Amino acid sequence: MIQARGITRTYQTHGAFTGAHAVPALRGVDFTLPDGGAVSFIGESGCGKTTLGKILTGLETFDGGELVVDGVELSGLSARARARYFRRIQMIHQDPYSALNPTRTVEATLGDPLRMRAKEIGGDPGKWRERAAELLTLVGLEPAAVLPKYPHQLSGGQRQRVVIARALTVDPEVLIADEAVSMIDVSMRLGILSLLRDLRTRLGISLVFITHDVATARYVGDGGELHVIYRGEVVERGLTDDVILTPVHPYTQCLLSAVPIMRGLEEPGPDRMAPIRALDERTATPGCLFEPRCPFATQECALTHPTLVPLGGDGAGVGSAAVDVGDLGDGAHVHACLHPAARRVVGVEIGAASA
Amino acid sequence: MSEVSVRALTIEYQTSAGWLPAVADAWLDLRPGEITGLVGESGSGKSTLALALLNAVPAPGRIAAGTVELAGVGDVTRLTGKQLRKVRGGALGYVFQASQNSLNPLKTIGRQLLDLGRSHEVADLRALIARAKDLADRMGLDGDRVLDSYQHQLSGGMRQRVGIVFALVLNAKVLILDEPTTALDMLSQASVLDIVRKVHDENQLSTLIITHDIGAVSEIADRLAVMYGGRIVEDGPLLDVLRRPSHPYTKALIGATARITGDVDAARALPGRPPDLTTVARVGCVFRDRCGFAVETCATVEPVLAASEDGRRRACHVEPSTVLSGASGTPAAVGEPA
Repeated sequence: MIQARGITRTYQTHGAFTGAHAVPALRGVDFTLPDGGAVSFIGESGCGKTTLGKILTGLETFDGGELVVDGVELSGLSARARARYFRRIQMIHQDPYSALNPTRTVEATLGDPLRMRAKEIGGDPGKWRERAAELLTLVGLEPAAVLPKYPHQLSGGQRQRVVIARALTVDPEVLIADEAVSMIDVSMRLGILSLLRDLRTRLGISLVFITHDVATARYVGDGGELHVIYRGEVVERGLTDDVILTPVHPYTQCLLSAVPIMRGLEEPGPDRMAPIRALDERTATPGCLFEPRCPFATQECALTHPTLVPLGGDGAGVGSAAVDVGDLGDGAHVHACLHPAARRVVGVEIGAASA
Repeated sequence: MSEVSVRALTIEYQTSAGWLPAVADAWLDLRPGEITGLVGESGSGKSTLALALLNAVPAPGRIAAGTVELAGVGDVTRLTGKQLRKVRGGALGYVFQASQNSLNPLKTIGRQLLDLGRSHEVADLRALIARAKDLADRMGLDGDRVLDSYQHQLSGGMRQRVGIVFALVLNAKVLILDEPTTALDMLSQASVLDIVRKVHDENQLSTLIITHDIGAVSEIADRLAVMYGGRIVEDGPLLDVLRRPSHPYTKALIGATARITGDVDAARALPGRPPDLTTVARVGCVFRDRCGFAVETCATVEPVLAASEDGRRRACHVEPSTVLSGASGTPAAVGEPA
């Protein structure tokens, strides 16, 4: 079980002439990942979703908030003690082409962590070959055919499976998949996604799924929560299907509108929309972060910064700021918009496509 | 009348096992005002086919047979030297795969544009700049700012648009885009697709989009051509092909696409892995190992790409109705999953 409360991360940059300025990558992200559960984060490039993944694996520090793993607050621990917790959280990287060492065979790639793990848990290090074969079978590869190969001899999908097998060598409890399928052929993506779903059900491994492609988030498993991140801030959250089918935040609606329509099989939603301008970080946004790009922005949006509130409640859900959304329990549909409205932006499947 | 006619095009690569075909006997037409989507997995030969339209197949590849007729120019595969350089970028605009990375990091976009103009012996460079600005403005870019920028100052979506400006600034009538949206996030992808459709319509181009993402191309294309193992296995009007796929591979590709509607559990990844030059079947159908409909003939006779009613073509031994309605069985010999 991982709980994150108000995680913030601000990068200090300075140009040669422009002086120092702060770039907020995360502005207070909360989430709870139950054992065996799934949490997805979606957002466009530069929204901070990768930074979040790195923080969760200990590859990046955070400067505000707390990260609690199994009831232990990690920032209070020594580096050595922390490492024990981060060992249980493994990352699957975006690019299987650069995540594997090209000069090592699959056998060597899996062998080292397996021997290390065996020593750690007092197992028999000599048995690593059997364990490697077992893991490769688990991820859907033929051990005898794959073990002696170098990464370049494998297809993209096979490489990503090897990357997943390598993550499994240390018996993790959580996998962080950061754009794990975006570099892979569309035809192979579902295979990887169903493998991740399978690992959840069979091994009880929980999953943090980070992506820009909303459609793929549907395939990682049931009961998952979806968080929509915009410029380091969660703007809408709820069960994956709730958010995808009934989005209320204009940014979520823009993201969903951007999903290509399979013409002939689907019809575009009638309210399909796009941001009115490109992201410009230099524009000051004292109010809603999305206000400059939002097609529905009002005067109020430019001045007031909306916080997450539950959907419904008192009509539009505005003004119930006293409710702590953290207490709402899992799966509650919350949003940070002053003027939430349901819009039909998602494509509609055309019934009985066969003619 | 087609703008580009590809006839019986075969492209071979030299390997340790001899010359092997990356594209075999491809026939394809690009018509004015029509966007053609060329879809296939990695290694299906789609990029090689597109490079052949420029007669730019890199060594150790060669165009072994066939012609690429370009309206008003002739057979591109016969051109050499200066004539060929004029056609590339002149009549044929090409936006390269990962065009975000194909710009010169040491020169501003404007300087690179002037290089392009000089190498094509454009007399009026001012007019060229004006046209580039106009194109950039119509794509939602600030023309002046973009021309003064280095590539690192532009986002991925902006660089992709700059690639399109470069491809069209010399009044190309044919636009070829190789994986235009692959490295972009969803919002940039949607705006680039939107822009491609817009410049295509405004200039009455003949556009070819090469992609592995059947979902992205189905948003804007008019025709769809599906490639597998170096062969075009099916093509036709997009709506028709998506609604009634008649080749088992097309059907499987559509079924394997992650979508926002439809039943999550009904979607199936393609079994097996795409073939490469050395593993592609030499006799019989190239798709038979991964095909749920394969029959005995498939192992021995290669199906030809035959035209049928309503402007569609398919290369398959199995009846279209069987493919459309049939639940596919287990593929005959599926190797390791990929």
